[in-house]
Amino acid sequence: MNLLMVGCAFQQTPIHWRERLAFDDALVNPALSELSARYAAEAVILSTCNRVELYVASASLPAPPDFDLLVEFLSEFHRIPVSDLRPVLSSRADDEAVRHLFRVVASLDSLVVGESQIANQVKRAYETAQRAGSVGPALHAIFQHAARVAGRVRTETGICRGHASVSSLAVDYVRQVFDHFGDKTILVIGAGKMGELTLRHLRALRPWRVLVANRSAEKARAVAAGCGGVAVSWDKLDEALAVADIILSTTGSAQPIVSRERYQQARARSPDRRAVILDIAVPRDFDPAIHDGDLVCLFNIDDLERIRAQTLKARRKHVQAAEAIVDEEQSRFWREWRRRRDGPLIARLTADFEAKRQAILQQLFAKLNGRLSEQERALVEGAFRLLQNQILHGPISALTDEGAPEGGTHTLREALRHLFRLGE
Amino acid sequence: MNRITVLCFGASYAVALGVELVELLWPRPVQRLIGLSFATAGLAAHTLFLAAQPLALATQFWSTIFLAWILAIFYLYGSLHHRRRAWGVFVLPLVLGLIALSLTFDRRNGGSVDLWGLLAIRGERFWLIAHVMLLLLAAVGVCVGFVSSLMYLIQARRLRAKKVPALGFRLLSLERLEAMNRRAIVLAFPLLTAGVLIGTALIAQRPGQFRDWTDPKIVGTIALWLVFALVFFLRHTRQVAGRQLALLTIVAFALLLFTLASSHPIVLGGPR
Repeated sequence: MNLLMVGCAFQQTPIHWRERLAFDDALVNPALSELSARYAAEAVILSTCNRVELYVASASLPAPPDFDLLVEFLSEFHRIPVSDLRPVLSSRADDEAVRHLFRVVASLDSLVVGESQIANQVKRAYETAQRAGSVGPALHAIFQHAARVAGRVRTETGICRGHASVSSLAVDYVRQVFDHFGDKTILVIGAGKMGELTLRHLRALRPWRVLVANRSAEKARAVAAGCGGVAVSWDKLDEALAVADIILSTTGSAQPIVSRERYQQARARSPDRRAVILDIAVPRDFDPAIHDGDLVCLFNIDDLERIRAQTLKARRKHVQAAEAIVDEEQSRFWREWRRRRDGPLIARLTADFEAKRQAILQQLFAKLNGRLSEQERALVEGAFRLLQNQILHGPISALTDEGAPEGGTHTLREALRHLFRLGE
Repeated sequence: MNRITVLCFGASYAVALGVELVELLWPRPVQRLIGLSFATAGLAAHTLFLAAQPLALATQFWSTIFLAWILAIFYLYGSLHHRRRAWGVFVLPLVLGLIALSLTFDRRNGGSVDLWGLLAIRGERFWLIAHVMLLLLAAVGVCVGFVSSLMYLIQARRLRAKKVPALGFRLLSLERLEAMNRRAIVLAFPLLTAGVLIGTALIAQRPGQFRDWTDPKIVGTIALWLVFALVFFLRHTRQVAGRQLALLTIVAFALLLFTLASSHPIVLGGPR
């Protein structure tokens, strides 16, 4: 296989470069068509906010696609001078490229180790290339195997366990308390930007209704309109507190707005009603003493940040196990690839020798014309078979040698074809 | 022969529990399948064991084995229904505990009854069976309430300490556990009440009533009913935190164990 990965990632390349090199949905298909047409190669483009990578391969061409040619392609496609582009890009070939893709898909190369998005992004990139017709046997094999690596790492290690974003963690906590959301009321207090993402996650739970309270009635209406909620006037905050199941507070208030006493008074009419309070405002809006871990669970931004750090720390413990899976799958991939690639050649070689052996044996037995007993015939046949196996053992072993460089086995395959006249 | 069979399905449940515990530490997709297979095999053997002989549900041995069987079904249902949640680690120890408890009892078939001939039964014998069946079904509710309460307390403790939700085993939500507990109590309390009333009427007809009323099984059952009445009352009339109700349910379960471990006065004395 001749595989080359050319691209850039967040570790070495600043975001403005990644933005310039990114392929959005409209650009991917033309780029894939251009790549496969221009270099007669298979191509997949992985473009995310953290990386832009081109995977180009050829199962049949003797030489790998050239790094300079791909830099030239990117330069023309994005209209960036080659001299500017070259220092930004890096490349990996064959074994290194396979290992890199496996590490990427296993989220070992991600900004947040263990994040689950990357596996889907790789899958989408592969499916897009499939639809564009730019994937052949080599990239099919690699990307299908990559999906297997992602699955194994996800299920066999704890690297993907938990969420690493504050908003997802907040929803995790809500799910620890509530089971169904169709009858739940979410109360949003304030209109801070920080709360937007969390509210988006909470709305995905499909609550019954969303109430929005803000000191500014205009802002409350705007936020409510944006999330399909109902604006509540600030002086009716206590009434809203009384009926809310999930409270998301994100005001910019310099002082806490809900003390323990105020909360208890507001909930006096339904003291056994369960509530989760997500106080992501700084300074905090709710008195932490409200939290009892039973009827009221309060999580502020410090709690969520601390838990985020703990989750990431716990994930890092699984990196070694995930790397071991990548190593194992990398070896397995090459074994399977060689078997698939060399299988037809070995079968042809064996069939050719078999036919020749049979022909020679028939001639020999015809000349001896029945002077051999059955036992002697079997001995002669066995000796010829042994000779055939010993002759073939060397070439087949050399071909399937796992340590042999990819270019070396390509030359060997060509040599075998020529030496034994096996044809294409 | 019976003992071997009890050990056989007990061992199957024990292996299933072992697999569940391993799955908590090193999760692998195949483990769930292995655990469920062992539990299913155990339940099949358990069912055959119960079907092969007439049930003497009033005896300690058979009532405990029967209760364990219903809880094993509850475990399988829960495992299929609450996938990827720590379920077996809570229910299977209860099943195994009841099986272990049953092994300590005398297995004589005093008061044995062919359930298929139930319709033909008349008089006190019928009421005795009704009394035992109602109390056993109530016991199922108590056990389910115990499991949900235990999980509730652990979940509430984790939330109180604001522990990372993804680390450690996954539990059902507080709301779900509370609903499970509530349903168990709502199911168990009327059954328990009816069972106690029938038992009271049976004892009242017997000579030497005073001695029967002080029997540990009777005292345990009445205490169990009182605790359940308290839980029922608190749940429906007062605003009590879920944690307190969970603790009371656990007390009720302890009384159930005490009652199960005590021999039945009517069975010991023989039906009149």
